[in-house]
Amino acid sequence: MKELVEYIVKSIVAEPDKVNITEENSDMGLLIKLEVAPEDKGRVIGRQGRVAEAIRTLLRVKAARADTRVRLEIL
Amino acid sequence: MEELEITAKTVEQATEEAEKRLGIGRDQFETVVVKEGKSGIFRGEGALIRVKPLVPLEKDIVRVAMEVLENLLGLMEVTGAIKASSGEIPIALDIEGDDLGILIGRRGQTLACLQYIVRLIVAGRLEAWLPLSIDICGYKKHRRDSLQKLALRLAEQVKLRRRAMTLEPMPPDERRIIHLALANHPDVVTHSVGEGEDRKVVILLKRG
Repeated sequence: MKELVEYIVKSIVAEPDKVNITEENSDMGLLIKLEVAPEDKGRVIGRQGRVAEAIRTLLRVKAARADTRVRLEIL
Repeated sequence: MEELEITAKTVEQATEEAEKRLGIGRDQFETVVVKEGKSGIFRGEGALIRVKPLVPLEKDIVRVAMEVLENLLGLMEVTGAIKASSGEIPIALDIEGDDLGILIGRRGQTLACLQYIVRLIVAGRLEAWLPLSIDICGYKKHRRDSLQKLALRLAEQVKLRRRAMTLEPMPPDERRIIHLALANHPDVVTHSVGEGEDRKVVILLKRG
């Protein structure tokens, strides 16, 4: 799961080195926490959250295949 | 982007050759004339120009877009074969494979998200926002055909019953298909109402 987020995010931010992603398992499924440079936050969220929503949608495709749930939190 | 050297009899001919090879107009590349070229029956000398594209070339866009899409599919563990149709604007990629409904999503929402992410990444790599369309097993093409037919059928109904009709909520690209299908219709006009996910097209009788 992490790799998918990592690929997308690192491709669209100005500072790929400052991208930090962690995974946490909970009874609610997988929780992915994404941290980026402050100037890049707008890029990963997008206007009206459009980019974040698109990343979440693609994550859901993968989660559905693996029969799990996944949440993405942008810190 | 790489430079290209072209020789021809005249600068004009060399420029035409550059347009042909790059597939873009002369306003979209930078031209440096290295040698003017002299005319003469016996001692004519060819012209030499050096051109540098100012916009991404179609082959580069297709290559980058295919690579990005392939990576994304791999990471999502979806198997599909990507085909690019050449010479179309916007550049169109079609993913073919079994069981790709999951990638289309409800009302094509997942496909729209996939296309958006690919466009974002490609735009970042090539430093230009480019028209790029992604389809899955011809889903959009079929949808466009059936929406056009639906639009014409409903327009007839509106005309006969002399009453406005509202379609189900649709994403922007699908609403656009309806608007365009009826843009030149003699009897009806179209509008969109509602906000966000609920936005839908209304077909009204044209007031004479």
